[in-house]
Amino acid sequence: MQQLKTTEITVKLFGPLRDIVGKDEVPCHIPDVPTGETVFAELVREHPDLLPWRDHLMLAVNLTYVPFDHPVTGADDVAFIPPVSGG
Amino acid sequence: MTTIVTITNQPIRIPDVLDAVSSPRAGGIDIFVGTVRDHSGGARVKRLEYTAYDAMALRLMHQVEEEIRSRWEVHGVVLIHRTGILEIGEIAVVTAVSCSHRKDAFDACRFAIDRIKAIVPIWKKEWTEEGESWGANEPLEIRERQQMKDRDAR
Repeated sequence: MQQLKTTEITVKLFGPLRDIVGKDEVPCHIPDVPTGETVFAELVREHPDLLPWRDHLMLAVNLTYVPFDHPVTGADDVAFIPPVSGG
Repeated sequence: MTTIVTITNQPIRIPDVLDAVSSPRAGGIDIFVGTVRDHSGGARVKRLEYTAYDAMALRLMHQVEEEIRSRWEVHGVVLIHRTGILEIGEIAVVTAVSCSHRKDAFDACRFAIDRIKAIVPIWKKEWTEEGESWGANEPLEIRERQQMKDRDAR
């Protein structure tokens, strides 16, 4: 059987997303070239309750806000940022 | 030219902030103090819990400091956000600037708190009499969906 090559991306979770998943971070295994979009799709497959959040999240890669189609690697710090409410 | 940018789980002491931000070059100091309010919308709030993406929050608070310094002639800047569980009346956030002139101080201080609220990854969970909630943090459609689920469950 052919082994599909995947990249493991560790996604950090905060605020309401952490409550939904019940963990601070989760590993996601992504085939091909991972982007924020494909990583989020994989997260939703495991945790369908995350789906309605899609349009309200920002992607952060290495502590910087980037567009959802930004590529990510296993070495990157990856987080989906729900609407912030500091102050 | 003092700069203090911090996230802390310890109480914020205003006299310390005032000391730190003071400068012999300043003609005025503005301090904004954000405190825990006992209500949110119609609900009675018992306490709040703040969590942060610490590394990114610090980085963006430093960015806010740079933005302030590029727009106004400021001397001292202090930006502190508290995390953890806070009781009613406790200080959650402080932005302080010292400037040669008061207009710059007012404008820069207001910019600091508005910018922190807009971009820094910190989240506030509200503990009300009905339980815990993400308050305004939760998009309306998600709250409505949850309410419908709760109604169906009853």
